[in-house]
Amino acid sequence: MKNLKLASREREERTVIQVGDVAFGRDFVVMAGPCSVESEMQTLEAARAVKAAGADILRGGAFKPRTSPYSFQGLGLQGLKILDKARRETGLPIVTEVLDPRDVSWVAEFADILQIGTRNMQNFSLLKEVGTTQLPVLLKRGMFSTLEEWLNCAEYILSEGNPNVILCERGIRTFENYTRNTLDLSAVPAIKELTHLPIVIDPTHSTGRLSLIPPMSLAAVAAGADGLLIEVHHDPAQALCDADQALTPRHFETLMRQLRPLHGFMRTLADETAKTAATA
Amino acid sequence: MKLDEIRYKIDRIDRELLVLLQERMGLALRSKKFKEVVSDPGREEDLLARAERLNLDLVERSFTRQLLQTIIQESKRLQEEDRRLVAFQGEHGAYGEVASRQLVSNGAYIPCLEFVDVFRGVEAGDLDLGVVPVENSLEGAVTQVNDLLTTTRLKVIGEIKVPVKHCLLATRGTDYREIRVVYSHPQALAQCRGFLMRNKLEPHPFYDTAGAAKMLARESPKASAAIASRLSAELYDLDIIKEGIEDGSSNSTRFLLLSRDSYPGKGDKTSIIFAVPHEAGQLYDVLRLFAEADINLTRIASMPRRSDPGNYSFFLDFEGALQDEKVANVMARMEELAIGMKVLGSYPADSSSQ
Repeated sequence: MKNLKLASREREERTVIQVGDVAFGRDFVVMAGPCSVESEMQTLEAARAVKAAGADILRGGAFKPRTSPYSFQGLGLQGLKILDKARRETGLPIVTEVLDPRDVSWVAEFADILQIGTRNMQNFSLLKEVGTTQLPVLLKRGMFSTLEEWLNCAEYILSEGNPNVILCERGIRTFENYTRNTLDLSAVPAIKELTHLPIVIDPTHSTGRLSLIPPMSLAAVAAGADGLLIEVHHDPAQALCDADQALTPRHFETLMRQLRPLHGFMRTLADETAKTAATA
Repeated sequence: MKLDEIRYKIDRIDRELLVLLQERMGLALRSKKFKEVVSDPGREEDLLARAERLNLDLVERSFTRQLLQTIIQESKRLQEEDRRLVAFQGEHGAYGEVASRQLVSNGAYIPCLEFVDVFRGVEAGDLDLGVVPVENSLEGAVTQVNDLLTTTRLKVIGEIKVPVKHCLLATRGTDYREIRVVYSHPQALAQCRGFLMRNKLEPHPFYDTAGAAKMLARESPKASAAIASRLSAELYDLDIIKEGIEDGSSNSTRFLLLSRDSYPGKGDKTSIIFAVPHEAGQLYDVLRLFAEADINLTRIASMPRRSDPGNYSFFLDFEGALQDEKVANVMARMEELAIGMKVLGSYPADSSSQ
């Protein structure tokens, strides 16, 4: 991958991106919340619930890229204000998607992390625009993209002067149609070989099935991912988008109780392996 | 014109009608100070007759009379209420009004063009109370006000520290992406420079923050916004695009509440102004009195004396009231030392400002 001047692993130290109290590339960071900001009540309830369960960052979309122009498009500025309110109340930093280069500076006023969605991975003018901010950018993998294409998109952001790129694997299109997409977990160790950037997993959109989210989340921890991006809705049946794939707060809490100990165990394992290697 | 354009203009006119009514009621309340009784039938008939002489085809005479009578009725009702007239500098919605509303509940808040108008109005008895800013955490002393304090007969009877939270305001329905120009007082624009640069907005200086909000509501210039208080948004029916757009984190202004009479209670903080002879150790001698009496100073500032070039006035705030024995002792000793001492008064400290 010869075009990767800034993203490639040639750089020795791994990138660590501090957001609030946590750091991508050092801690295991859990981002959770509703697919979209629907109302103040719904967002605040979700924020309180994910905070209580131990999430580090609140996710929520104010601008929604929908397959159909007739689907709910998001609340826009009003949604950003609601997220701001949720941050003030819970203290959770905000990750939210930006769709339009004209919105970047404004979304940056409200968000702590800018998310580039899968459909916009190769929207180069948008990538350049988020590259001009200093906010961390969560770059989702395009659903038809190779790792090389994905890393070249990270390179676009880095080359504009923003070093804070977090990669997010969210499943790719395959012939399998039982799941919404196929979660490519091998991307985690592969990305770690290829780049110094942190990588997180989105088990929600990749599987599209509630029952598969907890096991794939645990698998992501075991594979060495730096964090998770999970949809949680206080009343999934009433959600205005992705109603059938959001965890309830209770399910999320159960999952969180498994995630943290597993991550602790994986870290001990890694430390022991390193120690053995050093003494051998 | 399309229907939504027509409605947009109607909304603008309604907003302006209400803002004008607010101003009219404020003036009516001020007029009370010059009258023995609230009702003045001769003046009322004059007013109605003059309006009826206007030859407006869509605003019929019977309607005009009815409308004005309703307004006069409400104005008389307000005058009968015992509302205190609280003067502040700036337009409605200024940070001075934010402070006034917090210091005096259920007052009538009267805008004044200049600080001196606040002082003169209260001194003359045309207005009951005055609220003026003495210092800002970023910009320092408000020299005009401090200068007026050295000569006024008014007493300080209260204080409050108001956090300055600038809001980006636009008329309802404005798409934030279309905003290009932002109007506000130069100081507010300077305090939000980072925000303006990040969003490629062009700052346009205006005489007042709230004045910029008022202009926006009245004229709705295209692609424009204003920087002003949240109160301005509420008064002029503007959308808050974002609150807290100032660059630094803690920016606040301390306001004093002025009255012709001293604070009736005991108070727990005192403000004085003094000057000392131009000799070695004079200021030290004064400050030593406070140190020896174990009185905590909360503010000390110096300002050139306009009446006496080359010499300085010292502004001192300290904990304790004039009625306290140790304070009274220090004040007595100071009379002997200082060439000019002026006690502004003891008053309850704003507990949040410490």
